[in-house]
Amino acid sequence: MKHILKYFISSCLFLSLFFANAQDIKTPVVTKDSTTTSIVAKKAVVATQPKVDPKTDSIIAPIKTNRYGVRVGIDLYKLSRSIYDKDYKGLELVGDYRLDKRRYFAVELGNENKTTDDTRLNFTTKGSYIKAGFDYNGYENWLDMENIISIGLRYGFSTFNQELNSYKIYNSNPYFGEVPPIAEGQKYNGLTASWIEVVAGMKAKVFNNVFLGFSLRFNRLITNKQPVNFENLYIPGFNRTYNGDFGVGFNYTVTYFVPIFKKKVLPKETKTAKKK
Amino acid sequence: MKKTILLLLILCFSFSSCEKDDICDGSTVTTPRLVITFYDFNNSAVEKNATNLTIIADGMENPVSFNGSTLINGSTVSIPLKANVDTTTFRFILNFGSTNQASLPNEDVIQFNYSRDNTFVSRACGFKTNYTLNAIDPFVHTDAAVPDSKWMRYVAVKNYIIANENETHLEIFY
Repeated sequence: MKHILKYFISSCLFLSLFFANAQDIKTPVVTKDSTTTSIVAKKAVVATQPKVDPKTDSIIAPIKTNRYGVRVGIDLYKLSRSIYDKDYKGLELVGDYRLDKRRYFAVELGNENKTTDDTRLNFTTKGSYIKAGFDYNGYENWLDMENIISIGLRYGFSTFNQELNSYKIYNSNPYFGEVPPIAEGQKYNGLTASWIEVVAGMKAKVFNNVFLGFSLRFNRLITNKQPVNFENLYIPGFNRTYNGDFGVGFNYTVTYFVPIFKKKVLPKETKTAKKK
Repeated sequence: MKKTILLLLILCFSFSSCEKDDICDGSTVTTPRLVITFYDFNNSAVEKNATNLTIIADGMENPVSFNGSTLINGSTVSIPLKANVDTTTFRFILNFGSTNQASLPNEDVIQFNYSRDNTFVSRACGFKTNYTLNAIDPFVHTDAAVPDSKWMRYVAVKNYIIANENETHLEIFY
């Protein structure tokens, strides 16, 4: 618990750093935009006045094009944990679709089977989940780079069942000694939960259309259908629940980008794109 | 858009309301003990302090300790019940260790019969056991193996359901 708190605070600090960076970068970008517009203006002038030295034309920076398409991939953390942790089996598929210059529609689909062995409880959670929402890329790429530092929101929904394998009885007056763990095997079916997730993530293009990504998630439960005489201590997709309705998560993804079409980045064009 | 990011940041920090939940808090109501109150037989409205009462469960060597002492001199005592079987038998020894001829040790035996109900408390505490004394034979009051006449004159159940330690479950008049 201490570690998680530490992890959480440091990640918040880490993330706040990014915002500062994003704004720092923005200032030179604005000037860059103005230069391109001036170049475009010059270009128009060139068209009407062919006498101007063609050397000025060669100065024009290559026009930026944004590629649009679908990115699909898998969470490497869940995949690798399924191999080394015998109490865990999970798979998460991730995907996003670029809507405009900065926004992406994002989806995560997953399935988990986890046995939690706490000091007083041992239970198995099995279920599937879906998360859907948006990512907003706050990173201004240079040239044709396609890296993403994003913040986003997701709505998550999970349907699952829990099996209480064994439990211990808490007795603050252990005169008779502690009762050995009681094997239960009680199954609670038809449980559901939904939550909102705030996602901070980054994706870097490693080669061609392959991206590596990492994201941190802070979750807050909205609905939680609890079993009778037990609690949803783990929810697939949401992860461990804490007192209250708070949770954390992360994923480490490898994704493949399938380009569908391209858009040139010109001030006019982005305006028309926004109108759409 | 800046506003949105700021909003998300605030939302993100509002999540920091996480609490420690892996240590079972002492104030949590867990497995309750049976609370016994002693009354004066001649004046049943008045609580009567026990004198050097020692309570030992059947098959145990050490007496039950209450408020750090195994010699009970108050008018109430709480004793734990077995959480893995449906009966617990205790030996109640009044004037324990006394050699005074006027107040010699006297032993009574009470067997409690109950049903158990395991209830989920939390991740850190696990489950607790609540007891319900049997309606027909909640307890069996007998004299000691070596008969020395019963010191308890009258025993009555006040609350059959043992779910907390805030109320008296059994009343003993002597």
